[in-house]
Amino acid sequence: MNPFILSILLLSLGLGTTLTFASSHWLLAWMGLEISTLAIIPLMSQHHHPRAVEATTKYFITQAAAAALILFASTTNAWITGQWDINFDLHFFPASMLTMALALKMGLAPVHFWLPEVLQGLDLTTGLILSTWQKLAPFILMCQIMPVNSSLITFLGVTSTLVGGWGGLNQTQLRKILAYSSIAHLGWMILVMQFNQQLALLALIIYIPMTFSTFMIFKTNSSTTVNTLAASWAKTPALTAITPMILLSLGGLPPLSGFMPKWMILQELTKQDIPLTASIAALSALLSLYFYLRVSYAMTLTISPNNLNATTPWRLQTTASTLPLAISATISAMLLPLAPATLALLSL
Amino acid sequence: MHPTTLMYTSSLLLMFAVLLYPLLVTFTSLPLNNDWASSHAKTAVKSAFLISLAPLSLFLSTGMEAVTSSWTWMVTTTLDITLSFKFDHYSIIFIPIALYVTWSILEFATWYMHSDPLMNRFFKYLLTFLVAMLILVSANNLFQLFIGWEGVGIMSFLLIGWWHGRADANTAALQAVLYNRVGDIGLILGMAWLATNVNSWDIQQMFILSKDLDMTLPLLGLILAATGKSAQFGLHPWLPAAMEGPTPVSALLHSSTMVVAGIFLLIRMSPLMENNQTALTLCLCLGALTTMFTATCALTQNDIKKIVAFSTSSQLGLMMVTIGLNQPQLAFLHICTHAFFKAMLFLCSGSVIHSLNDEQDIRKMGGLHHLAPFTSSCLTVGSLALTGTPFLAGFFSKDAIIEALNTSHVNAWALTLTLIATSFTAIYSLRVIFFVTMGTPRFLPLSPINENNPAVINPLKRLAWGSIFGGLLVMLNINLFKTPVLTMPAELKLAALAVSVLGLLTALELATLTSKQFKVTPLRTPHHFSTSLGFVPAIIHRQIPQLSLLLGQKIASQMVDQTWLEKTGPKAIANATTPLASATSNMQQGLIKTYLTLFLMTLVLVTLISAT
Repeated sequence: MNPFILSILLLSLGLGTTLTFASSHWLLAWMGLEISTLAIIPLMSQHHHPRAVEATTKYFITQAAAAALILFASTTNAWITGQWDINFDLHFFPASMLTMALALKMGLAPVHFWLPEVLQGLDLTTGLILSTWQKLAPFILMCQIMPVNSSLITFLGVTSTLVGGWGGLNQTQLRKILAYSSIAHLGWMILVMQFNQQLALLALIIYIPMTFSTFMIFKTNSSTTVNTLAASWAKTPALTAITPMILLSLGGLPPLSGFMPKWMILQELTKQDIPLTASIAALSALLSLYFYLRVSYAMTLTISPNNLNATTPWRLQTTASTLPLAISATISAMLLPLAPATLALLSL
Repeated sequence: MHPTTLMYTSSLLLMFAVLLYPLLVTFTSLPLNNDWASSHAKTAVKSAFLISLAPLSLFLSTGMEAVTSSWTWMVTTTLDITLSFKFDHYSIIFIPIALYVTWSILEFATWYMHSDPLMNRFFKYLLTFLVAMLILVSANNLFQLFIGWEGVGIMSFLLIGWWHGRADANTAALQAVLYNRVGDIGLILGMAWLATNVNSWDIQQMFILSKDLDMTLPLLGLILAATGKSAQFGLHPWLPAAMEGPTPVSALLHSSTMVVAGIFLLIRMSPLMENNQTALTLCLCLGALTTMFTATCALTQNDIKKIVAFSTSSQLGLMMVTIGLNQPQLAFLHICTHAFFKAMLFLCSGSVIHSLNDEQDIRKMGGLHHLAPFTSSCLTVGSLALTGTPFLAGFFSKDAIIEALNTSHVNAWALTLTLIATSFTAIYSLRVIFFVTMGTPRFLPLSPINENNPAVINPLKRLAWGSIFGGLLVMLNINLFKTPVLTMPAELKLAALAVSVLGLLTALELATLTSKQFKVTPLRTPHHFSTSLGFVPAIIHRQIPQLSLLLGQKIASQMVDQTWLEKTGPKAIANATTPLASATSNMQQGLIKTYLTLFLMTLVLVTLISAT
């Protein structure tokens, strides 16, 4: 893509999210969301093949519907309460509409259906932007409208974790696996958002490097299915050894950093006296863990056969920059000992 | 220390040293000289016997008993265990007798096991057994007794399974261990009860402190221990099976010393039992049943060693009956006299077996009276002593027991069974003599019949002296603790003798039937009962393992594999999750209209619910 176009699109993407972050007026927040949606559309369809176009269309329709509902809800709220400020509590009726709209925007169950198909149609870089950056803006809005309709939030959270678990079990395409992983993680974040927004932010902050690392690893190996990933031992042996750490961190296994948000969330839920919800969420994390483990098994714990020529790529130096991946992999695997510092930083 | 006590303790110490020295020599890696068994082991036992005569003579002259407590082994807040030895009437008389018998057996074994390449190990085992037995007999506390108890049990296992290449020998050894173990449960139960209630394992302390307690439970435990060790009915099958071991083993362990350990325990603990009617009645009835049952089984056996084994079992039942009559000293006397003639019977059978080239079936013997006169004479003497022929060794103890039984006010049924068993004793003893020594030979012509070896003759001679004069000697030199009833009707007095003679005559009559056909269709049921040993081994040895194996199979395959792992555990989770996973991913049909409709429906639902 033309570098000027690319920079305009990326900068608009950044603008949109930052606008939503900075706004205290609902209309401005909505505008930020729309800008980021519009900015990412050309990025999604840059390759012009039908699958990408299909993904772009689905994304656009879904996000437009959600944004329209956000506009409607905030207008209704302005009608009822007479003010547009985000900081004031919402009336319950637009609150539930707004929650559903934001759920659709982020890809929470039971309105998650668009996410796997859209992610599958994109290339890995755009998918990365969709999975990480695009979650920030709706997430912040969600944080700011709390507390609202506790049972709805819990329902969204628990369903998301379960759907993320069960859905991912039947997949061999890596992008769909990551889509379900995103659904599950967002479910965890939503669960705790009604009690402690800092912990939800922690979950997001930890989730982003982990997903970034996974997407980068897949991009380095240029693999989009589990079978292709199995050949990575010959291309990037060091990365093949590190990937299970990242994947298991996504699964929330101690002593990796992914354990930190899950631990804190379970603790918070227990303190709020809903141990049953906490148990269900924890058990559904087992389902997700299984498919992460399956991917790492196929990649690292087995050496898949290949012809002689394919066993040589690791000897050649790569031109791609490995620094971002190195940083994010380190964060996503080794941050657990810094848990107290991280939590302290987030309570600002 | 009083000089008598000093003499007792130092003789015991010297005895242990003399007996342990040959064992310790074998732990160095020097090769043993050819006649180590004869020069070291047998000589050690002979010297130990001579040493043990010193405390015996001192006891006979002064009548002084002693208890020595030496080193304190364990000190806990509630229980102290010291090394303590009891030199009382029972141990001082039993130790010389045991050593005398063991000396003879070891000398015999130098001939019997001559061709065995591991003969030295055999003697080592026998010596270890002897040391354990002496520990058991001289123990003053239950802990030390238990050490000896377990020691004799283990050595019994090793010695029964001496020819371990033979599957039957291994099975027999295992049987011995398992049945003894069941008895050990009783002993440990008794020990635990005593430790927790009376707070001591010392014999003297236990007797004093349990005066007012209800001792039924520990006594039942001790009786169970005696049932296991002394092969009473219920735990008896191991004793005939133990005949798989070499004849010296049968002679030493399973006739004179080890099997009497259970009875000895009860004798030691008799002051605890004398006021407990339940325990006494139990002993009486159990002993009567044992003696009758095993005598019945002995009537139709064809293996000479098995007949003697059942005879041992029957005599053990008699000893148990005596304890049930509250006459522990008479039981002890019977132990002492029984050791002589039973060991001699076993040695005679060993001599016969080796002479006939390892033939043990009495139907294939005969006419040995002319061919091995000394052995058959000893066999006859031993059998006569066993049946209680007046003024031989067995008479003094056996007749005293039967008299005590007749003049007591206990269970008439036990009395009847014992008398019938006494007559059976005569019957099977005559059967042995008839088949082995009388008549014409039924064995192969080239049998290596040889009893000219002094290693055979001397032990038999010594034990024959013991079988003839042993009872008289013991009776002359002791004082009976309980005054026996000396006046009774003539029929009661002569009852034992009468039933034995009756049995003898019946047996003689039956013996002459071997060459005639008395009945065309004989009555086979009693014969089957006797030959199949009352069907007890067939039932117990099959039924219990079958139940255990079935239970094991149920647990392993049905409970663990099918239920826990498949239906409720991992496989159930897998079977439940798979449809859910497929459903979740199959819901993605790719139609955006469906997704948006679902969104609309959810929105409406949520709004409606939140509005209410």
